[in-house]
Amino acid sequence: MNSLEEYSLLPDFSHKQSAHCESGVAANLLTHQGLDISEAMAFGIGGGLFFGYLPFIRINGLPLITYRAAAGHILRQIASIPGVSMYQKKFRNRDEAMAELDKALMASIPVGLQTGVFWLPYFPKALRFHFNAHNLVVYGKEGDEYLISDPVFPQPVRCKADDLVRARFASGALAPKGKMYYLTQVPEMLESRQLIIRGIHSVCKMMLSSPFPLIGVKGIRFLSNRLVKWPQRLGRERADLHLGHVVRMQEEIGTGGGGFRFMYAAFLQESAEIMQAPLLYDCASSFTAAGDTWREFAAMAARICKDRARPDDSYPAMAECINRCAAMEETVFAELKQWAKQHS
Amino acid sequence: MENPEYSSGEGITAGLKIVSYAVNNKGEYELRPDFVWQPVNVVNHQAWLEIDKKITQSRKKVAAGRVSCLHYYMTANQMDTGLLAQYTGQPRWKVFLHLVPLIFNRLSANTLKKYAELYKIAPDDLIKGRLLPPLYNHE
Repeated sequence: MNSLEEYSLLPDFSHKQSAHCESGVAANLLTHQGLDISEAMAFGIGGGLFFGYLPFIRINGLPLITYRAAAGHILRQIASIPGVSMYQKKFRNRDEAMAELDKALMASIPVGLQTGVFWLPYFPKALRFHFNAHNLVVYGKEGDEYLISDPVFPQPVRCKADDLVRARFASGALAPKGKMYYLTQVPEMLESRQLIIRGIHSVCKMMLSSPFPLIGVKGIRFLSNRLVKWPQRLGRERADLHLGHVVRMQEEIGTGGGGFRFMYAAFLQESAEIMQAPLLYDCASSFTAAGDTWREFAAMAARICKDRARPDDSYPAMAECINRCAAMEETVFAELKQWAKQHS
Repeated sequence: MENPEYSSGEGITAGLKIVSYAVNNKGEYELRPDFVWQPVNVVNHQAWLEIDKKITQSRKKVAAGRVSCLHYYMTANQMDTGLLAQYTGQPRWKVFLHLVPLIFNRLSANTLKKYAELYKIAPDDLIKGRLLPPLYNHE
């Protein structure tokens, strides 16, 4: 296989659709290397669950709220698994970045990229916001087009080189700076049990014992305190916009409205089987309940945004709902933390 | 967990079939195709209404000669001066000045080319002040 043309005839990558981009990419890349792993599992051992309300970072002029770990966290965790090594590079120069991508593709290596959604023409128009932490896998090139396995799409897609380079060098918050990565080495088997414990432990630490008041369970409560004051502080219209933004962040593609809580529950169910720990199964149910409460909040928020508020819908009622989420998550994380401590 | 009703796929994903985690009747999680959760359509719609509102305002301002057509392209592509400055590698105050019609009309061909390339339009469109649809609406 010398030339790119020859290579492009047989790009082989098992594309599996997933609910979230980063965990999907991680699972797909590992599966490609022969380590069969589900998306939820990758999300869990990558410690993907999180909460952060960071009003000093702005997206389209609205505060950053995240229900999952910062972009790249899952991949970093996966890369730090003993036996796994991942090559990762950011670029300044566009041509260099594309040349290095082509070089890897020539060697039949599927390459993960961080991109900005706004510049990807195959995305539906309604989702093309300036959001820069989208992950995808490029696994081949045909002529001027790259073959892309975008985990949130049902089928592999194609993208012109010119558009891809724009997406790789999107500017603004979380700018990808051409970031590319691929796995260079994987162990023969994953030590699932240890990884599960490690993953759970790291999430508990973030959610419960962060000294920073804007993240974890404290962050959820902080958001609820702020949210009550939005109508007075910002005026009705701006408050509704902020509210809509919170809900939009909660429902990134495929989370079903639960801000990744459902995906984490799926991970806990899977882990319960591997670890033979019924406790994890119970925790999964608690997370389902927490996700449902988040949904309840979002549904109320949507009614308010739409001006169809029911009599008992109000900002204080929503804040109360978020506080309930915080309380539920605090309990279940405390349980998980205990469990992880016992097993490590 | 109550599973929300299936919708026709209209709304946020505009026909894209996504998968989500949901419990089946045995209480186990599985990836389910094509379920669209209503509130997200509402808030997504809200975000687009806001963008459309800004675009309409910008069109009016351009028509009234209060800002240059660059303001329209910036707004239509969901950017602000800061983001546009980053994309074109200029300081923010320069971009800010370029929104003033008088200054915009005297821009060098090079600077115009930068903007035109970013928005995938011809420099001539900028000079003539044609308001073409934003990038994500080209097709």
